[in-house]
Amino acid sequence: MPEIFIDGKRYEFEGKPKLLQFILDNGKEVPFFCYHPEMSAPANCRQCYVKVGTPVQNRETGEYELDENGERVIRWFPKMQTSCSMEMTDGMVVHTQETSEEVARAQKDTMELILINHPLDCPICDQAGECPLQIQTYKYGPEGSRFEVKKVHKPKRVELGPRVTLDAERCINCTRCVRFTEEISETYQLTIASRGDKNYPITAPGMEFDDPYSLNTVDICPVGALTSTDFRFKARVWEMNQTPSIDITGGKGTNVDLWTRDNLVLRLTPRYNENVNTHWMPDEARMAYTKFNENRISRPSIKADGDNQIKTSWNNAIETFAEKLEAVKPADVLVLGSAHASVEENYALMKTFSTWGVNDFYFSPDVKEGFGDDFLLTDDQAPNTKGVKALGFSETSAEDLKAAIKSAKVVVLLNDELVDRGVLDSEDLKKPYVISLATNETETSKSTDLVIPITCIAEHAASYVNVEGRIQRSLPAKETKYTHRKLDLEMSEGRLDRYGTNFDNWVNEDNKVDCTPTWELMNNLGKRLGLSIQFGTSREIMDEIASSNSSFEGVSYEKMDDENGIQLTGMNKEEVSA
Amino acid sequence: MANNYEFTPEDLKEIETIKAKFPEVMPATLPTLWVAQRRFGHVEPEVQHLVAETLDLPVSHVHGVATFYTQYYKEKMGKYVLDVCTTTSCQLCGGYDMLHYLENKLGIKAGETTKDGMFSIQSVECLGACGYAPMMQITNDVYVNNLTEEKLDDVIESLKADKMPEFESVGMPQHTERS
Repeated sequence: MPEIFIDGKRYEFEGKPKLLQFILDNGKEVPFFCYHPEMSAPANCRQCYVKVGTPVQNRETGEYELDENGERVIRWFPKMQTSCSMEMTDGMVVHTQETSEEVARAQKDTMELILINHPLDCPICDQAGECPLQIQTYKYGPEGSRFEVKKVHKPKRVELGPRVTLDAERCINCTRCVRFTEEISETYQLTIASRGDKNYPITAPGMEFDDPYSLNTVDICPVGALTSTDFRFKARVWEMNQTPSIDITGGKGTNVDLWTRDNLVLRLTPRYNENVNTHWMPDEARMAYTKFNENRISRPSIKADGDNQIKTSWNNAIETFAEKLEAVKPADVLVLGSAHASVEENYALMKTFSTWGVNDFYFSPDVKEGFGDDFLLTDDQAPNTKGVKALGFSETSAEDLKAAIKSAKVVVLLNDELVDRGVLDSEDLKKPYVISLATNETETSKSTDLVIPITCIAEHAASYVNVEGRIQRSLPAKETKYTHRKLDLEMSEGRLDRYGTNFDNWVNEDNKVDCTPTWELMNNLGKRLGLSIQFGTSREIMDEIASSNSSFEGVSYEKMDDENGIQLTGMNKEEVSA
Repeated sequence: MANNYEFTPEDLKEIETIKAKFPEVMPATLPTLWVAQRRFGHVEPEVQHLVAETLDLPVSHVHGVATFYTQYYKEKMGKYVLDVCTTTSCQLCGGYDMLHYLENKLGIKAGETTKDGMFSIQSVECLGACGYAPMMQITNDVYVNNLTEEKLDDVIESLKADKMPEFESVGMPQHTERS
């Protein structure tokens, strides 16, 4: 097998990997800006310099020439090489900044050049704290600049498009954004305009950067040049908590990170998963965070007189729920699951009601024909269509659903905005007594008789099955009134969470929503109805599902965490049509 | 983008010939921009859109190329663009004097265009004719060497009569010796 010597250590490799990627894959580091594993390597930032040499080989015999000590004679490349574009060959010898003063010096000088016109506005820059330029300047850069002349000024606050704002002065012209539009999203909307020290990325005149994936350029921008118009100046990176989760605005199950501060989700960024979304996510999915914060239902509410809902106590809500059920036969109750809710929530609902005597369970799929593309957007608007189906909920059309609601006396509706997305009319929900378990105040929740607040994906750990049959899970990112970051070991703790107290002025008790997970609600309801059901944590519920439902065989939270999601057997990409 | 510019059939034919020279269409961007600049006198954003449309390339690419080269005029310029060199050799031999003389004569500053649309003046970097300093170039074309105020007067007069100055061959010392 071909071998390579990096900093005096021998590695074996296969194929023709590029040097920088190989170094990174082996847990070592070389600073870089313009390289991105998903895109071509133009080697224009010149930061990943390394010293490279190849052994001298006798052309006839193919043997390596040896010096007097019996060591291979190395012919060094006359100049430093950019490791991102350097193809590895057998016997190659590489020195990174770790073993070569020369390389360290070269990197430092390149950095000085890059920083010549870079404004020193880190204190007001959004990227500070997660800025490769900042980090690498600390690690490999010069202590100061020898340039005392005035820096070049370029346009600031350029609205490239509806979602991206450019600060051209901060740009180091790595062209990652330009290459993203050329190679990944293929909209060719960006280019580098002008030249020399005056250049910066921009759209063609009269054109907008309205690429449906435009915000990915903000993520890959190695400086603070491209910023999200929405997130700009909202929070410092180090004040936020990062929690892995899943996108719930589409069927793809894009892996995301939720960034929270004081129990508000402030932004979503893509999380790497080679099997689903790699490094990217659609802009569409980024605004989902508003649903986690705004218009949340806190405390149950009940229709008192006419159509007016008033807040009520949890006891009263459970009591009313149970009374309404006890007044009718199970056959008169219509239980609707939801593709917008997790596997665990749907399972808890189903198990409770089937124990009580309900036989049929339905859900209404949320598909927008023609919405999807070949990339990360799908026709399926719900994150868990395959999951609910696998649990045994049957798909129902709008007409059948209307008829079923008409003939039912009590309707139990799990988090699904049926009225808002046009499946039902609020008139349809008038006749039966409708109990909705919901996260947000919507037209649907307004048209129901009893609204019980449940946790959203940002508040519970639960799993979702994407259109490709891959089950992935979320982790709780924000506290509810009944959870505590320090007690729930699944919750991450940011700096402010750890060191803040309730008397800090950034802590706001109002951001905690008064809601419970569906399974806890079902526990309370079951207890009141005298059913022999008891749900533990969502982790335990998943174990229960895995042991009772063959579609979910072998699924557990541990395995999902280890493998970044599990491809369920018997579900493959071909049957995505639903 | 509504486009007020259009290539003539002859231009389109020329562009086809240009495209035929390259295995891909992208390298045709530069010569096609020249065709456009010859036709319209500039490559304003609208012209860039036209070029992109004609070549079926992203507008952003054409914009990037057009803004990279200073010889493409990204805004309307005078009929004659006077590029006065002000880099070292010309500077030492009076390049700025020539520039200022022109500015006063035409009543405009470098980077501006006269009201009648006849002349634009630009202060440019080295045009590679240091041996004949100070010098200027007229609309990316003829060099006028060894400028003096009198020579500038003559040039302006002849340009006003729509007569481009002749190309001047200036022999280098070594050439004179040999001959």
